[in-house]
Amino acid sequence: MKNEILIQRLLKEAEQAALQQHTRRHFLKESAMGFGALALGSLLGSCGTNSSEASSSLFDASNPLAPRSPMFPGKAKSVIYLHMAGAPSQLELFSYKPELAKLDGQDCPQSLLEGKKFAFIRGVPKMLGPQAKFKQYGQSGLWLSDNLPHLSTVADEIAMLNAVTTDQFNHAPAQLLMQTGSARLGRPSIGSWVTYGMGSENKNLPGFVVLTSGGNNPDAGKSVWGSGFLPSVYQGVQCRGEGDPVLFIKDPDGMDRDLRKASIDAINKINHDQYAEYQDPEILSRIAQYEMAYKMQISVPEVMNINDEPAYIHEMYGTEPGKTSFANNVLLARKLVEKGVRYIQLFDWGWDTHGNSASGSVDIGLVNKCRSVDKPITALILDLKQRGLLDETLIVWGAEFGRTPMQENREGKDMPYKGRDHHAGAFNMWMAGGGIKGGTSYGETDEIGYDIVSGKTEAFDIQATILNQLGFDHEKLTYESQGRPFRLTDVGGKVITDIIS
Amino acid sequence: MIISSVILENITEFIGRFHPVLVHLPIGVLLVAALFQWLSSKEKYQSLSIAVSIALFWGMISAILSCISGYLLSNSGDYDGDLISNHQWFGIAVANISILAYGLNRRKKDNIWVTGLMVLLIIITGHLGGSITHGSDYLFKAFSNSDSNAITTKRIPIPDINEALVYNDVIRPILTAKCYKCHGPDKQKGKLRLDMPDLILKGGKGGLVLVGGKVDESELIKRILLAKDSDDHMPPLEQPQLTKSELDLLHWWVSSGADFNKKVNALVQTDKIKPVLLALQSEEVKEELKLSDVPAESVEIADAGAIKQLQERGIALTAVAQNSNYLFANFVAVEGLTEKDLQLLDPIRKQLIWLKLGDSNLKDQMLGSISALSSLTRLSLERTAITDQGIGQLKNLEKLQYLNLLGTKVSAKGLEQLKSLKELRQIFLFQTSIKPEEAEQLKKIFPKAMIDFGGYKLQFLESDTTELKDPKLK
Repeated sequence: MKNEILIQRLLKEAEQAALQQHTRRHFLKESAMGFGALALGSLLGSCGTNSSEASSSLFDASNPLAPRSPMFPGKAKSVIYLHMAGAPSQLELFSYKPELAKLDGQDCPQSLLEGKKFAFIRGVPKMLGPQAKFKQYGQSGLWLSDNLPHLSTVADEIAMLNAVTTDQFNHAPAQLLMQTGSARLGRPSIGSWVTYGMGSENKNLPGFVVLTSGGNNPDAGKSVWGSGFLPSVYQGVQCRGEGDPVLFIKDPDGMDRDLRKASIDAINKINHDQYAEYQDPEILSRIAQYEMAYKMQISVPEVMNINDEPAYIHEMYGTEPGKTSFANNVLLARKLVEKGVRYIQLFDWGWDTHGNSASGSVDIGLVNKCRSVDKPITALILDLKQRGLLDETLIVWGAEFGRTPMQENREGKDMPYKGRDHHAGAFNMWMAGGGIKGGTSYGETDEIGYDIVSGKTEAFDIQATILNQLGFDHEKLTYESQGRPFRLTDVGGKVITDIIS
Repeated sequence: MIISSVILENITEFIGRFHPVLVHLPIGVLLVAALFQWLSSKEKYQSLSIAVSIALFWGMISAILSCISGYLLSNSGDYDGDLISNHQWFGIAVANISILAYGLNRRKKDNIWVTGLMVLLIIITGHLGGSITHGSDYLFKAFSNSDSNAITTKRIPIPDINEALVYNDVIRPILTAKCYKCHGPDKQKGKLRLDMPDLILKGGKGGLVLVGGKVDESELIKRILLAKDSDDHMPPLEQPQLTKSELDLLHWWVSSGADFNKKVNALVQTDKIKPVLLALQSEEVKEELKLSDVPAESVEIADAGAIKQLQERGIALTAVAQNSNYLFANFVAVEGLTEKDLQLLDPIRKQLIWLKLGDSNLKDQMLGSISALSSLTRLSLERTAITDQGIGQLKNLEKLQYLNLLGTKVSAKGLEQLKSLKELRQIFLFQTSIKPEEAEQLKKIFPKAMIDFGGYKLQFLESDTTELKDPKLK
């Protein structure tokens, strides 16, 4: 009896819902939008957005993360991008400038300051010599500082970019430019473009995973792994190092796995009915998301667990299970690559060394930061190598900009510690694996590392190279938005062929 | 006076440049005239005879115009040689015979032999003209076995590089392959010829192209180094570009003085150039001998039904590239692998070149299904239960280049069963029963392969676990 009443009530509810779709207001709204869209469509069609010419969208709403072929056989199948948020000093890591040492403590020549803008330097700052010792390593003779003793053992795996430049000298816009191709908000990140282009090889895991360490998210916030105008399914999934890797991933008390399955099936059935009625592809997208979330409840905690890794791996990476650390994230990145995750973005915060505190100095804080990343990064290269994965995994190391050869003098005053201001003009990045030619370097800067002499490399060039290694022509991977095709590299970008094997 | 002669020269060159457009008119129109003349001899098409005269007239006019413009173009100096003079005389012959044919036609004395000869001359002239533009080997390239997609280029090896002549043995072959077509005996674009030492030194329209020892003053190098989208970049984009090592060699030669007679060992060899020079001793250009795990030959598209079945089983199956029919299958998300799943791969065995079965519950007895996948170039079997008993079944995968056996029980004995796999370039053996001591022995069996035993260790440094403290806090 009670059941019957319930059923009656449900039926009535369903009927009401259906009727609501057919009110006069709904009808007018739908038809107005429909006519509007029709009119707009023909208008746009006539002003040259030729649908056959613009590359067709790769987005398949019913299975948005299905694996897809690249444009040409790419060397790399996955990317691990290590971003040192805050921007480490290239002059204490990679950029060997003996001339700068001679200028240490002298006033900066006026010619270097004219027409330049700095984030904090005011008046005439003093030059600051390198605060590290440099040596050449490997057969290639790569210059590296004593801050990176482990990395120096794999110097021949690395392709060093000596003359990277940007036009942004504040963290957030500079990070956005590096990661999304625009200093303004609203563009999809590299990982979003990659998963849009290639989907994911493992249907049980997200295609684009983000891991952060160092106590803070990057200054630009979550937009640096956002999907912009791409369908939201391509945005980065941030996983936590401590506790549940994804919030609310466990079933609540009283809900078992079967009941969860039954409820998702019921929701999906209703969604399928809705789809049958409205043919809106977003509904299929939603169904796929529910199914994936259900599978991820099992697969994500499994892959995000480093407890079961053998001792020699923990020793190699310097990992400590249960903590949030860059080392743990690097190990997780390797595990994710093995599981077919396409793009893993790491951010490590705390590299902003202005000299306003010990931890923010180039001779103390920077050294400690280097100690926390040097070993795991080196371990990652070697571990991927012994697993036969280095050739198909592109590793990118970088930051949003570099640091000045001048000592920072905030508001024209001396700083308590040795630090350097933001420098957009010239800095270093490097790549390894994924079809990159190890033991090469590209570009050079002047004798104090202030300006570029040759081999200028912009964010777009790095992005174009990443896409190229995955098998994409960065000029052809496009998505139609606001009436025109957009691409990651906007109107720029050149593949850095000198570092490709 | 001087100015007007310069202008005149420019105008004649401008008119000359219409030659490549104009030449198509006599070819088309005169052939139509010949066709109509032949057709009008048949009763059904008799009405076409009026058109013959018109076509012959305009064909004749355009043939004369082509001759004039062609002569002006050849005067521009970009062209020279036998090919040009042959083309010129045959072209003039075409114009003359078209005049004759038109005259005969006006007198109603059409002669089939004259027309036939005209057609023949048109064909010869057209072919010669085409050879000038596209290169004399253009037409028959399809028959010659040089596959443009070939990964390796065969080259006559230099027995002892240090005894070789720099210009004659190293530099000239590069110029022959990449420059002569436009700057050689057939054509001299920009009035530049690069096929003889004195002609190289003479330079072109813009002056010297080679300054020994000064790379940044040598247009020969500068043009090659220009960005590809620059108008002045050489070779032009549609032509084959120089490889990295060719450029390195050219650069090295110019910077060390651009001598035409010295031997290789007489020049200073930088560390950078040594390996490039050494590579010339081998038969294949090393740079282009890269591991290519996608076959050059094409394959028909795989059966759609078979692909669908595999995808429904949760196997990530994609073409290796959008314009390729070759396939890559990844079993990473497949749970409970069975023999039946592997049999699903059989219909796509021609197309399947990359296969990942790592971490699956693959067993020795299932390897039989894999042994039939004869197109495979990459195979990942890491952390599966396979052993020496099963691995021998892979010995038919002759195209295999990459084999990952990480974390399996395979021993050196097992791996030796695969000695027929001569193409293997990368073998990963970390955490197998194979010891690094057995490397020498394996290296002999797989001469081309890079064998990785893993087990890399990082040095323990005290700084790994300590932090610098702020000295001011003491």
